[in-house]
Amino acid sequence: MGFYFVDPKTYRKYRDQVLELSHAVQVNFQEQLPAGKRQPGLSDSQIAEHLGIKEHVVREIRCVAERDKYPIDEFEAAIRFKNKACRDYAERGMSSVMSKYVKRAKKG
Amino acid sequence: MKSPKKHDFDETDFARAKAEIGGIAKQSGALVWGVAAADAFDDAPEGRRPFDLLPKAEGVLVVGGAQPRAGDWQSPNYQHMEVTTTSDRIHGLALKLARVVEDRYGYYAVCVPPGVDHGQQPFMSIAMAADLAGCGSKSLAGPVLHPEYGFMYFGAIVTTMPLPADSPPGTPACPAPECVEMYSAEGLTPCTRVCPIESGGCLGGRIEGGRIVERQYDQARCATRVQNYWVPGFQKVLGETLREKDSEKQKMMLYSSMFSRTLWSMTYSNVSQGQCAECMRVCPLGRAHRTRQ
Repeated sequence: MGFYFVDPKTYRKYRDQVLELSHAVQVNFQEQLPAGKRQPGLSDSQIAEHLGIKEHVVREIRCVAERDKYPIDEFEAAIRFKNKACRDYAERGMSSVMSKYVKRAKKG
Repeated sequence: MKSPKKHDFDETDFARAKAEIGGIAKQSGALVWGVAAADAFDDAPEGRRPFDLLPKAEGVLVVGGAQPRAGDWQSPNYQHMEVTTTSDRIHGLALKLARVVEDRYGYYAVCVPPGVDHGQQPFMSIAMAADLAGCGSKSLAGPVLHPEYGFMYFGAIVTTMPLPADSPPGTPACPAPECVEMYSAEGLTPCTRVCPIESGGCLGGRIEGGRIVERQYDQARCATRVQNYWVPGFQKVLGETLREKDSEKQKMMLYSSMFSRTLWSMTYSNVSQGQCAECMRVCPLGRAHRTRQ
């Protein structure tokens, strides 16, 4: 059988490093940030070189780890989050987050 | 139709052709359009630059539009936005323009696919292309925002046609003046207030001198919201279901509202669907275009 998934032992060994290097949580990732602040994530091939493993192994570990990071409860919590945020906006518009600043901007 | 040869064009012709293509884009519903130089993608990872899709690429034509309607933003039912915020309309326009470039001007044109590749990543950053083409700038929340229209969807066409390139905007649209004021008083912006990374959300950042100087974004958590009823949600429920030994409980999981909704969502459409728009809903940019009676 060909390779289409990574073995769990390899996954457990490299998961945290791959997630960290690929920036699943992006800290100062964007191009327009000041040059000294920018920390772009590494590509799969760069991570592979860094860790001394193959690129396709990194890709599989990253794909699984990104999905693995949050449990199913988080998907259910997302529904509650969206429902509340959407209803708050429908009731109060921009005032739900920034009323006085909107009024001042209108005056300005 | 006979295709013109490359040497039939001079610089003036390319400028005229660019204006013609832009005119077609506008007539077809684009709010904004522009051209990024193909060799300006230095910040993109190797393998995700225009040359990786089309080796002799000269430029990337970008079109933006297909915004949700004002009423879509106003609906109290969050599910409404889940099924209306699709990028397919702007991708359809991009496909049309690719046809124009090939049939009218005789150059290769490749539409950047709106989905993801086998590594679950974009084929090329359309956001970077939009920024470089002057169609907007990346925001604290992430999406490219236009100073007048705010949030919109973008399509991109990589082409061998040497259209004159545009430049990124000198001043980023984000943060808006009212967000700068809010940040200086409260340390938050509307988007980081509604979805704060330090308390279960996706976004964080710092503003100095009216500019974003730091930014945090939890991509994996954002996926649980934007791709809520989509492939990631499907994989999660399927995993739980396969582990369940109790057939009655297994049935509850398979027939659950979450799994059923996910299947509807996945089978309705094969294009990218944005299933969370809460950070954009509260963005003041483009608010005038989202306000009706």
